[in-house]
Amino acid sequence: MTDALKYEWMRIRTIRSTWWLTILAIAFGTAMAFLVSWGISESFKSDQGPPARDIKVLAPMIVGHFSGDGAPFFLPFFMAMIGVFAWGHEYRHGMIRATLTALPSRTNAWVAKFLIVGLWVALVTLVTLTVSALLGMMWLRDDGIDFTTYAVAGMIVKATAYSLLFTWAATALTSILRQQAAALVLMLLWPLAIENIITLILNVAPGLDDLAPLTRFFPYNAGDRMLSARDVTGSFFGDPLTPWAGFIVFGGFAALLMAASFALFQKRDA
Amino acid sequence: MAVIEARGLGKVYGGKVAVNDLTFNVQPGSVTGFLGPNGAGKSTTMRLMLGLDHGAGATTFDGKPFTSLVKPMRHVGALLEAKPFHPTRKARNHLRMLAYANDISMNRVDEVLEELGLTAVAKKKPKTFSLGMGQRLGLAAALLGDPHTLILDEPANGLDPQGIQWMRTLLKHLAGQGRSVLVSSHLLSEMALMADQLVVIGRGRMIASGPIADFVKTSSRNSVTVRSPGATELADLLRRDGVEVTGTEPGLLSVVGMNAESVGDVAFENSIRIHELSNRVATLEEAFLEATEAAQEFEAHEISGQPGTGQSGTGQPA
Repeated sequence: MTDALKYEWMRIRTIRSTWWLTILAIAFGTAMAFLVSWGISESFKSDQGPPARDIKVLAPMIVGHFSGDGAPFFLPFFMAMIGVFAWGHEYRHGMIRATLTALPSRTNAWVAKFLIVGLWVALVTLVTLTVSALLGMMWLRDDGIDFTTYAVAGMIVKATAYSLLFTWAATALTSILRQQAAALVLMLLWPLAIENIITLILNVAPGLDDLAPLTRFFPYNAGDRMLSARDVTGSFFGDPLTPWAGFIVFGGFAALLMAASFALFQKRDA
Repeated sequence: MAVIEARGLGKVYGGKVAVNDLTFNVQPGSVTGFLGPNGAGKSTTMRLMLGLDHGAGATTFDGKPFTSLVKPMRHVGALLEAKPFHPTRKARNHLRMLAYANDISMNRVDEVLEELGLTAVAKKKPKTFSLGMGQRLGLAAALLGDPHTLILDEPANGLDPQGIQWMRTLLKHLAGQGRSVLVSSHLLSEMALMADQLVVIGRGRMIASGPIADFVKTSSRNSVTVRSPGATELADLLRRDGVEVTGTEPGLLSVVGMNAESVGDVAFENSIRIHELSNRVATLEEAFLEATEAAQEFEAHEISGQPGTGQSGTGQPA
C-alpha cells in the first residue's frame, strides 16, 4: 500500500493541472470571501445593513461561500477536476498499463488514488475556507460578526466533507466511464443543470407536482443541504432535508459510485 | 535469473477467440522473438502475462505470477504502449514516479536517462518527443528497475536505423547477462539478427516455438541450387523420386525435398556433370510467411486496376 501511496503522491505533484486547479480554487474561494465580506462591511456603514435574521448566520455563510443557501458551491468543481484527471489521464494517455506494471495490486492502486486525491482536496478546501474566515474576520470584526464560533468551524468541516464527497463522486464517475471529457461534462451538468431542470419540470408540469418533493433526494440537491447555515426544523428526512440527512444521501451516492468504480476496475481489462 | 512460463493463456472478446491455449517458455540468457501477423494476439498475450487483461491460464516469472511480485519493476520491465506517459509530465518526473513506487534510487533514474540518450531532454515534456524518443523513454521505464525479465511489445517502432541497431545490441547484451527477454516485432530481418528463440502465433494459436534455426529449417523454401549442363535430364530423374524441381533459367534448377548430398549422388550415379551444388536456406521472413499463411487475420489483396484510372479489374475503357 505504501508503494501505491508514494506513486500517487508523486503523480499528483508532477502534473501541471493539479497546481493550476489548486491555485484557481484558492484564488476563487478567497477572492469571493474577500469581496463579499467587503461588500457586507460597506453595507453595515450604510443605513441598509444585512437583514437581522441573517446576521446570526453571516459568518458561516461567508465561510461556506453562501452555498446551501442558494448559491452553488464552486470550490468543489475545481477540486473535482483533480479527481477527474486522476483517472482520466490514466485512460486518455494509456498510463493505466504503466501504472499497473508498477503497482500490480489493483486494490492498492485504486485506494491510493482516492486517498491521495482526497487528502489533497481536503487540504486545499480547509486552507481556502480558513483563509476565507480570516478575510471575513478582517472586514467584519468591527461590525460584531464573530468568526470564532462553532458554527464557523462546523461550516469548514461540512464544506470540506462536501468537497471531498463531490470530488470522490466525480473521480469514481471518471473511472466508471473511462472517458475524461464525458466525466467532466457530466460533473458540471448533473449538479448545475440536470437536477435543476428535472426539479423545474416536476414543479410546473400539471400532474407531476406530487413528485416534486422527491427531488430533495437528488444527490446534489441533498448535498447542498449539508452546507445550510440555518437551523432546520422538521423531521430528519423531511422537506427540506436536515444537513445530516443531506450528508447521508450525498455520501451514499458517492459511496455507490465508488463501489461501482472499484468493482469495475477489478473486473475490466486495463 | 527467471524463466517465464506461460501456461494455457486464453482470451475471448465478445465471443471471438483472441488467444487460444498458448503455452510457451522464455529461457534466461536468450532473446525470444514473439511473432505473428497483425491481429494474431501478441499484444493481448503480453497483457495477459502481466495480469493487465483477464483471461484463462497463468504466467509465472521464476514461479510467481506478476501480480504477486513485490516491487515488480525490479523483476520485470515492460513496454506495452508506443507512448506510455503523460504528455506534460517531464521525462525525468515520469521515471521518478515509477522509481519512487518501486524503491529505486533517483541515481538510477539519471543512469537510465543517460543510457537511453535522454539526458538532454530529461526536463522536457514528452509531448514534444518523436515516436522514437517516446520509445526510448518507454524503454528507460522498462529498464529502470534493472529487471531480470523484459517484455517488450514492438520496441523498435519509430526508431531510426541507428536506434534499431542500438536496441538490438542492448537486448542481446541484456540477454547475455542471463536475463529473459521476450520481444515482439514486425521487423523480421531485425528479429533474425536479434532473437535466439521464437514463439510464432497466428489467430491466437501457437504455430511454432523453439530455436530460430529449427523454425527456419522447417520451411519448404529451403532448397538446393543445381547448375548443370544436364539440368533437364537431372530434373527428370529427381522428379521420379517425388522431389519438387523448378527451373529458374536454362541449366539452373531449384530442388525442394532433397538435400544437396542426395542430389549430388543422383547426378554422380547418372554421370551428369555438376557445375554448382549449394544449399539455399530460407530467410526468417519466408519461413514466417509460409507458417502464418493460413493464419492471416487481416489480409491485403492485390490491386488489379490500372494506376491512375480509378478502375479495378480488367474491364475495357469506355
